[in-house]
Amino acid sequence: MLKLVEFIKKVYLPLLFLVLEIVAIRYYAHSNSYAEARLLATSNSVVGRVYGSISGVSEYFGLRKRNRVLLEEMAELQNELTRYRESAVYDQLDSLGAEVETKYSYMTARVVRNTVNRQHNFLTLNKGLRDGVETDMAIITPDGAMVGYVVSCSERYAVAISILNTDFNASGKLAGDGHSGAIYWEGFDSHRVKMHELSKYAPVEVGDTIVSTGFSHFFPEDITIGYVEQMEVDEPTSSLNLVLGLAADMSRLQDVLLIKNIDIYELNALEEEANSLFQY
Amino acid sequence: MMRQIIEYALLFLVLVLLQVFLFSSLELSVYLNPLIYIAFIILLPIETAPVLVLGLGLLMGLTMDVAMGAAGLNTLATLPVAFLRGALLRLTCSKDSVSDGGVPSMRRLGVLGFTRYVVAAVLLHSIVYFTMESATFDYFHLTLLRTAISGVVTIGVVFLTSQLFNSQVTRVL
Repeated sequence: MLKLVEFIKKVYLPLLFLVLEIVAIRYYAHSNSYAEARLLATSNSVVGRVYGSISGVSEYFGLRKRNRVLLEEMAELQNELTRYRESAVYDQLDSLGAEVETKYSYMTARVVRNTVNRQHNFLTLNKGLRDGVETDMAIITPDGAMVGYVVSCSERYAVAISILNTDFNASGKLAGDGHSGAIYWEGFDSHRVKMHELSKYAPVEVGDTIVSTGFSHFFPEDITIGYVEQMEVDEPTSSLNLVLGLAADMSRLQDVLLIKNIDIYELNALEEEANSLFQY
Repeated sequence: MMRQIIEYALLFLVLVLLQVFLFSSLELSVYLNPLIYIAFIILLPIETAPVLVLGLGLLMGLTMDVAMGAAGLNTLATLPVAFLRGALLRLTCSKDSVSDGGVPSMRRLGVLGFTRYVVAAVLLHSIVYFTMESATFDYFHLTLLRTAISGVVTIGVVFLTSQLFNSQVTRVL
């Protein structure tokens, strides 16, 4: 009996090791990625939160830069997309394959100054003539909401008229529909603009999206302006007056996209010529 | 005694956190996967009861398995190191220094002895780990390369940890 105890004392450690090792190897050998994924999901409930906060902290410091990079990328992609769209249109119109030129080009800028509390609000952007900014370039938010357009440029900065400016002019239309009207700001509510001269036959409902028409030479077609909040019929002119909630949060603008209409000079010149023909 | 338990609990925690949030999320290369948590087993006091070392090895292995989602791989690599630690110590260092006990360090075991001990323990751990991870001998040279590169980095980290831990210990005591 004593000998047995001695024997067990001698071998229990190697035995324990062997048993544990064999169990571990068996468990490992019989596991697969599903089991490991499950295990990881379990540990994530504990570790994941720490991971999240660590990456949250480190992400926070890199956020501005990453945002900038993403915006640049988006401008690039917008350029490319426009080229594709245009070439598709050309393909349809002209099977001979006329020279493809894009109508719009995009670039990014940062809002360095912005007001929303005046009647004539303007934005100052950190890019100017030397960066290729020109007057009449449209400004939209990164997610494609109308903000304003450039009215003057210095060497390094550009100043733009904000949609929250009583002198701001744009035309809007019901998304996916031809009916259009004029957009203007009354000068008080920095979250809302008005739209009038919309045909009363337009199938508009509260919550509908209003987008740009492309009639103006500043904005490409289908830039989101806002969403219908209220509507009323103006009997004398038999048109609809709408109140729109702005798609862009004008008080929190940071990075914006600038859109250049490459044909704008040609279009302006052409229209001037047409006008002069009919002046008596 | 109590103080030592707290110190080792802290070492355990710090090594696990470093492994999970730093070394395992480096993702620099498939060849660089330092398994630094083995420093915990290496740095346990020499006189620790073998069964306790084995138990702590199991605990560390399981912890890493759960944290990294590796289903037994860390456990099966850590257990042999924990089991063979006494034998490794006796093989690599002089009898006197081993019987004196204490926290393994260059000062206690001598530069040569300590280096041999750390290299042997890390290599044993890394070889088992990477061989079992690849689960094949087809790419043996690549597995060997992973073992070598990761092992060297691990050895460096273990040395650093031992320096920091020992200076911490002597200062506190």
